Amino acid sequence: MVENKEFQASAMQGFQEELPSLLTAVQSKVDGFDTIPSPRPENTTFIGLEIKDIESQINVIDIPSPDSPVQVIKSHHAHSLSISMPSSPSGLYIEQDQGDLISQRSVANGTNGQPNLPINFKVVNFEQPKQGIFHSQPMPLRNSHAKATPDQQRMLRSSRLRDKRYDSFKTWSGKLERQISNLRGKSQETEEIIAAEAPEPEPLPPVDRYFDALAGPELETLRESEQLVLPEDKKWPFLLRFPISSFAVRREYYHPIRVNFFFAPWIACLFLALGVPPSVAVNLHGALWYVLMTPILCLELKIYGQWMSGGQRRLSKVANPSNHLSIVGNFVGALLGASMGLKEGPIFFFAIGLAHYSVLFVTLYQRLPTNETLPKELHPVFFLFVAAPSVACMAWAKITGEFGYGSRISYFIALFLYVSLAVRINFFRGFRFSLAWWAYTFPMTGASIATIRYASEVDNPFTQSLSVALSGISTITVTGLLLSTVIHAFVLHDLFPNDISIAITERRTKSNNNYAHVRTASSDAKDIETCLSKQDTEEALNKMFVK
Amino acid sequence: METGEKQIQLQILTATATTTTSATTAPALLTTDHLELGAEHTLPLPKFSTVTGFHAGYFRISLSLCGLALLWKTLSAPSTDPLALRPIIHVLPSVAFVLLWSLALASLVVLSLLYVARCLFRFRSVRAEFDHHVGMNYLFAPWISWLLLLQSTPFLHPKTKCYHLLWWVFSLPILVLDVKIYGRWITQGKFLSMVANPTSQISMIGNLVGARAAAEMGQRESAVCMFSVGIAHYLVLFVTLYQRFLGNDSLPAMLRPVFFLFFAAPSMASLAWHSISSNFDTPCKMLFFLSLFLFASLVSRPALFKRSMRKFSVSWWAYSFPLTILALAATEYAQEVKGLTSNVLMLVLSMLSVIVTLVLMAFTAIRSNDLLPHDDPFAINRTP
Repeated sequence: MVENKEFQASAMQGFQEELPSLLTAVQSKVDGFDTIPSPRPENTTFIGLEIKDIESQINVIDIPSPDSPVQVIKSHHAHSLSISMPSSPSGLYIEQDQGDLISQRSVANGTNGQPNLPINFKVVNFEQPKQGIFHSQPMPLRNSHAKATPDQQRMLRSSRLRDKRYDSFKTWSGKLERQISNLRGKSQETEEIIAAEAPEPEPLPPVDRYFDALAGPELETLRESEQLVLPEDKKWPFLLRFPISSFAVRREYYHPIRVNFFFAPWIACLFLALGVPPSVAVNLHGALWYVLMTPILCLELKIYGQWMSGGQRRLSKVANPSNHLSIVGNFVGALLGASMGLKEGPIFFFAIGLAHYSVLFVTLYQRLPTNETLPKELHPVFFLFVAAPSVACMAWAKITGEFGYGSRISYFIALFLYVSLAVRINFFRGFRFSLAWWAYTFPMTGASIATIRYASEVDNPFTQSLSVALSGISTITVTGLLLSTVIHAFVLHDLFPNDISIAITERRTKSNNNYAHVRTASSDAKDIETCLSKQDTEEALNKMFVK
Repeated sequence: METGEKQIQLQILTATATTTTSATTAPALLTTDHLELGAEHTLPLPKFSTVTGFHAGYFRISLSLCGLALLWKTLSAPSTDPLALRPIIHVLPSVAFVLLWSLALASLVVLSLLYVARCLFRFRSVRAEFDHHVGMNYLFAPWISWLLLLQSTPFLHPKTKCYHLLWWVFSLPILVLDVKIYGRWITQGKFLSMVANPTSQISMIGNLVGARAAAEMGQRESAVCMFSVGIAHYLVLFVTLYQRFLGNDSLPAMLRPVFFLFFAAPSMASLAWHSISSNFDTPCKMLFFLSLFLFASLVSRPALFKRSMRKFSVSWWAYSFPLTILALAATEYAQEVKGLTSNVLMLVLSMLSVIVTLVLMAFTAIRSNDLLPHDDPFAINRTP
């Protein structure tokens, strides 16, 4: 309650003129209990999408009387809700500042044991009856900071440079940018203000939250009842859309699927070293192998250890085909080491890879009931099943120096898996192009290489034609994917959609369920109006008070 | 100093033995009645009824000491490698080895007698232990200790008849327990997915130790038989343990040290296969590397063991035996792959296991009160 008062007070001070009418009405009620809410004259428009923002604001403000917000809402019922983007960049950032304050308070409230508050920044777009202005109002200048009213203008200028909502994703919470702006010669007081209102770092969600909030074979789609920390309707900064980006690394590390992709750069380096053309270098130094394998070893120690001992991240819960990426690195490293002439190191990694591959293989085939990530239909990532045995075959052949029984057995396993997946070609259709399609290429090329090696051992027309066919297919696939990627990246500009998986909230909001039906309803204005009724609001408020 | 500690250890063990043997008579009836009431919770027992609280987990002590004796014997065996750093071991007198072996023997005898007393007077407790998912695995521990002691004995050659006989005496119970416990996994209510926990690897270690002893005796067929039984079940258990279907429920936090068994099993398998195939070939190396990796993985997670390290208990002894076995495997590896790295690895691991054992002995001497059983951990399983 005290916090809410503070919030009210700060909001009061912070806003110059255009206080959201909702907040004004409510806070005046709260403060004095004796003032009549008066709708303020405003040019304010909010930009937002859904009614649950009202709910969020109601949650933030602990209202003693349920009537006022309802009244306020009702007074705006008649007006259409518009979904629009701010026309000016300044408007964008300022509106986000406003939301930022809410986030700070709600985080504070959340940590104080109040009901979980959604940290979302979609604010309902209310039109005022007087004005009849509807879309894309430039957001008036407004300082969202509580304490220093006179410094609003300065605050504003500096906050225009960066959006604090993304700060929790930044490596040093935006301090680096503060330094840079400091170097540029901003005033000291600005510096203090910024420092004073540095947002609290967004807490990392536990693994359970990833499974609750996301769905799909790569946990890439947001479930309908969930909300994001970052705005859904805005295009996020590029680095947050680029997976395995440097700014959101921690969140990706805790994502149960994405963590496997941390191996991908090192595996790529290993393949580069394997495939280096003779004109560039003939004999690579052995030290290079150690340099490349050290990060893989460290990652493995962490991830396999989690499988063994972790409660949240144990294998029966998180097993999914992407885990193959963490296994394949071992085999590729063994292959490279053996090609370089090393003896013990390749066997070391082969042994580890083999042991953990058998565990993963059995687990994936079991499709345990505790496992939530295996999809019902196939997906490009399933092709990774083929990758591990084909590379293992090559590695064992290089280690032992001959294409013996061990290599042949794993080659046949790889071939069988390839055929059994490829004949289900119908299930691979209908996918929107995405970067996940690149998951097809690596297993295909691996299988082709293994086939070529096999054909050199067992020389007959069937194996030769098989090797030619597989190589042809993989070459065509890679070329096609490369072209599509280039087109989507530079022509269509839709290669990197908002990476929602890293932006889920730490805790599920409890009142979500009440408005689940609202959310699933279309975002059409009329539907939202009809869905939101007085009873629902009162019910939600009563539930809040019960807590 | 070492011998002094051994004397202290002997004194403690003899003191324990005398107190328990005198105490099993009169108060035993009282406690039996008390327990027969079908108590649902673990009962704090008076100090003299140690034998009731004594359980097979105490054999971890003898496992560690016998393993250390075997390590010492292997290290001091003549080696063909001139680069070997084994001459360091030769500096220590062979009398010390005999003393160590005697200490191991003494501890094993005392613990075995205690357990025999428990079987005679507290058979119900033994049955409860057999039904417990952790306790049943430690029933292998005495036999493993006896087999290790047999292998490390300084005065008995592996090809003698006496050795053969003793091997049969110690391996037969292992086989019987195998049939019983592994059979239960697939048939009765104790499904593997429900009872699997890291201590289940002790049963495989038992098979592998028997296989190694048989191979040293020259009996290849029985060696391969026991090895295959152990390896097949180890494969199943390895996958199951990694899946962790039950999460953290299967093992209390105090027993976290048994996670070290994860790398004891592949090391022992490596040693067993080395004895069977008489050279350290690729499968042996692969098993050794796997255990090395698991060791590194566990050692880099100290947070896992924090809760169990708050209070000294007999589960701390679970650290020592796997380290010793790993050091043994490293020794064999260094003998095969002659080089600086492997020798350094061998030395480091051996020293680590010796140090850990000594520290544990010191702790036992100082905090022996913590070590003695204060309650019956299996009372909870007793059916009224």
